[in-house]
Amino acid sequence: MTKEKLTGTRFGEIEYGDGDNIVFTSGIIGFPDLKHFVLVPHREDSPFSWLQSIEEPALAFLVANPWHFVPEYRPEVGDGDVGDLSLTEANHVVLTTACVPGGEASNLTLNLAAPIVIQVDSKRGKQVVLEGEAYTIKHRVFPESVREAA
Amino acid sequence: MLVLTRKLHQSIMIGDDIEVVILEVRGEQVRVGIRAPKDVTVHRKEIFEQIHETNVESSQTNPDDVPG
Repeated sequence: MTKEKLTGTRFGEIEYGDGDNIVFTSGIIGFPDLKHFVLVPHREDSPFSWLQSIEEPALAFLVANPWHFVPEYRPEVGDGDVGDLSLTEANHVVLTTACVPGGEASNLTLNLAAPIVIQVDSKRGKQVVLEGEAYTIKHRVFPESVREAA
Repeated sequence: MLVLTRKLHQSIMIGDDIEVVILEVRGEQVRVGIRAPKDVTVHRKEIFEQIHETNVESSQTNPDDVPG
């Protein structure tokens, strides 16, 4: 497999193979023109990763494994999105974008209302907007008491 | 912007396969039904904008601020 090099990212040079290129046909919401991303782990054993744009090396979204923080999270992906991505039970991963407002780790929020779903076999991804209002775009991970203590 | 006046239960066709129906009008609230192919995504505009803002914020997070 040939290796490609991505230079000018926030993490220095990133090497990736053909199989690492995840295609987002509709882009990420608000970024419709960027269709190719690689997933770069934040650190070993970290629940966080960076969804790094191949086309725009300066751009990477912080994403997280939502179940690490919210074990009861049960996103219901609509039929249209299931069809778009050819999802089955076993062939997808769900990530959520994560933000650390003000640089305070205790302010960490996850976007549980619009997870990023990646079909592992075909390497296709989509940011899916869940129906209903079960989850918020800025889900606070740490309760108030923890934030005050921190 | 094209502006059309519609009555209750009347609809608008956008292209051949997208239909927008006025279902209910109550004071300042209007309920709208949208019939569209599955590959057409429909979002409330304010939700779309909030997701966009959150994505931007996520992309501006300093790697040093990430917990763990």
